[in-house]
Amino acid sequence: MDYSSVIQGFSVVLQPENLLYCFIGVLVGMLVGVLPGLGPAATVAILLPITLNVEPVTAIIMLAGIFYGAQYGGTITSVLLRLPGEASSVVTVFDGYAMARDGRAGSALGIAAIGSFVGGTVSIVALTFFAPFVARFALDFGPPEYAVLALLGILLVASVGSGSRLKALVAAGLGLLLATVGRDGFTGAERFTFDSLALTDGIDFVPIAMGLFGLGEILYNLEDRSGRATAPPKMVRALPSKDEVKQSSGAIGRGSVIGFLLGILPGGGAVLSSMAAYAYEKKRSKHPERFGQGAIEGVAAPETANNAAATSSFIPLLTLGIPANATIAVIFGALLIQGVTPGPQLITEHPDLFWGVVNSMYVGNILLLIMSIPLIGIFVRILRVRGTILAPITVLITLIGAYTVANSVFDIMLVCVFGALGYLMKKFGFEPGPLVLAFVLGSLLESALRRSLILFDGDPSGFVTRPISGVLVLALVIVVAAPALRALMTRRQNRAKNEELV
Amino acid sequence: MTTTFRRLGAVSATAGLVLLTAACGGNLGSKSAEEAAENFPDGPVTLTIGQDPGGSTDLIGRALAGPVSDDLGVSMPVVNRPGANGALAAKELESAEADGQSLMVINMSLAAITPLAVSEDQAVDVNDFEIVTGISTDDYVLVTNADNGWSTIDDLKNAGKTLSYATTGVGTGSQLSSELLFKLAEIPGKAVPFDGGAPALTAVLGNQADVASVQLGEAMPQIEAGKVTPIVTFAKERNQYLDDVPTAVESGYEVEVQQARAIAAPKGTPQEILDELKAAFDAAFETQAYQDFNTDNLLTPNEVSGDEVVEQWTTALDRYRELTEEYDIDLGGGQ
Repeated sequence: MDYSSVIQGFSVVLQPENLLYCFIGVLVGMLVGVLPGLGPAATVAILLPITLNVEPVTAIIMLAGIFYGAQYGGTITSVLLRLPGEASSVVTVFDGYAMARDGRAGSALGIAAIGSFVGGTVSIVALTFFAPFVARFALDFGPPEYAVLALLGILLVASVGSGSRLKALVAAGLGLLLATVGRDGFTGAERFTFDSLALTDGIDFVPIAMGLFGLGEILYNLEDRSGRATAPPKMVRALPSKDEVKQSSGAIGRGSVIGFLLGILPGGGAVLSSMAAYAYEKKRSKHPERFGQGAIEGVAAPETANNAAATSSFIPLLTLGIPANATIAVIFGALLIQGVTPGPQLITEHPDLFWGVVNSMYVGNILLLIMSIPLIGIFVRILRVRGTILAPITVLITLIGAYTVANSVFDIMLVCVFGALGYLMKKFGFEPGPLVLAFVLGSLLESALRRSLILFDGDPSGFVTRPISGVLVLALVIVVAAPALRALMTRRQNRAKNEELV
Repeated sequence: MTTTFRRLGAVSATAGLVLLTAACGGNLGSKSAEEAAENFPDGPVTLTIGQDPGGSTDLIGRALAGPVSDDLGVSMPVVNRPGANGALAAKELESAEADGQSLMVINMSLAAITPLAVSEDQAVDVNDFEIVTGISTDDYVLVTNADNGWSTIDDLKNAGKTLSYATTGVGTGSQLSSELLFKLAEIPGKAVPFDGGAPALTAVLGNQADVASVQLGEAMPQIEAGKVTPIVTFAKERNQYLDDVPTAVESGYEVEVQQARAIAAPKGTPQEILDELKAAFDAAFETQAYQDFNTDNLLTPNEVSGDEVVEQWTTALDRYRELTEEYDIDLGGGQ
């Protein structure tokens, strides 16, 4: 590999104009991430015309900055208001919000910022050295691999959250059912749409997450009014302590790797990666019961992973010309407008563009870290606002956010319906988390499974004989069988001990 | 933040057509046709896109909005209203006021192909709109992974197995073109629907599907890189950007499927307004920036009159209906 072009890339980034656009990009991205609903894809599309007057590399540096900046910003509302703006920060809600209630919002946001920085940087370094090699791996992921991966994710759902396992499964089941709403993508049949055009594409993730987490939580808290007045959580510190950093360093390391690898996969990589990182941390923790009660690893792992994934999702675009998610698709469009066709030849035909964009991410991540640490103190002050004032404002932001996703009034009604559902679930001890996660994975599982079965002519043995899906099936078996085996072993050991005693 | 607050205004009003008035202060009250024609354009003209931001339809709408707004002298906000492949936006436009202030970019597949796949009350009829102007056409191309070594329809016939063909979804030109070709050429095949062009193409690149019919703009980078081989295009004539690849018709199979786009206004929009809009769009088509946009995105101009668009699309729908009945093709299995 020729490293002179890598160095050349840095000289591109360090031009004042490019630095400025990089800064604008990450700043806008962070703000957009904070506003739930207004996602990076829509923002990038709105800002497209601005980029017409600048060089292609400058334009893409800015648009890329919006994308990974939004991953940073999305954490803030998840932690402070329990409003995940993007599917990839749903799992952050569990421990992040619990930490905020303990007065550790600063620690949660701080560790998320540090984790995001590390995850992003690890991912860029890996991108720099391995992009061309790992691109091939992304193509080997076909429908069968996605089907098994989604199934694996859904199994992990049951272990997310802190309530009863049975209730989590019921909620996940409901989530899977909700995922079937909409026009069937294989036959065109209408499923549970009640002849409404608004439902033909199914229910969007945003109204479900905002209703169940955001509105449901607010309604539930309103009930508390008669009892003791909930004092605004006291801020203990603005930044994570040394111990907390030490405690989450492992999670950050593992989150980086998981995020990088899953982010390469076209379609849903960032979502899967944050969930996988969370579930993995919980599995290997000695005290899994702390998760959902404010475990700092539960914030560090998914936030690191989704940022690493955001960065590595540029690999399929820049090396293969395949957009991995909606935002990248808009950036693909931006490149086309600039007269640059993203494709396998991009790296040889436009090395300055390729390396300029890649290297701008180093700079962007540093800018984000510098910006976010002082900003955390400001954001955390939101929690000091009295509930009676904060609640209506949050409701308003939620409803606007839901509307802006597709300019749809129908989505506002959905938020209200799911808000009521979320309130009832909470009242009866059901966690909304498994429902939302099963919903996100449900449509992926269904379509990937059906696609695979068409390709296999209906013979399911194909899942085992393909190398990657075979390995994934094996992982699935281990995940299911390991706890049962462990239980069996301990019982046997206990029996052996008992026998010795006798 | 300002966008958010402006949109907040829109929430407080009701239903679909309010978007256009949100920014300028309501002109919701009905007005007579003459009044509307006299005052046009009265505030911003909203251009609705029935797809997500970033797709071809969205890019085309955004490329036109700038120069058209310059010509009309009012702003032209582009609003994405995705859902049901554009049907949602179309249904909303049907009930919008016919004063020329609300327009949409409508896709040919929505009016000429989707009706064959969905129930009658969800089908969109191009005759329920006034078409301002045609915009451009986009060709479908059948591609296969270069490793397969196939380059003609005969190669596909001689492959000696049931070929899987990836489509971009139910009721799309991609599905119709490949279903028809496989039936007419008597190639044994099975359809694997994906959710859009990029995943369908990825399936061919990763060798999970044997062939895919996708829009040329999406396939071109991979064709140029030699990763996929184009077999046929599905337009009437060879595509100007890929003129060494034969059409399906030239290869002996009467399959003619294209994606085209046009500007639609609500039914009953006064002729004066339609003329004024057509002139504004014609001026936009003339700009160098827009022509470069077409070249960069491999689009072929189809800047014909509204009547011609209606004629093209209605003929296409009738022909597709005949063909699908003749060859017993069921685009939507569930109806």
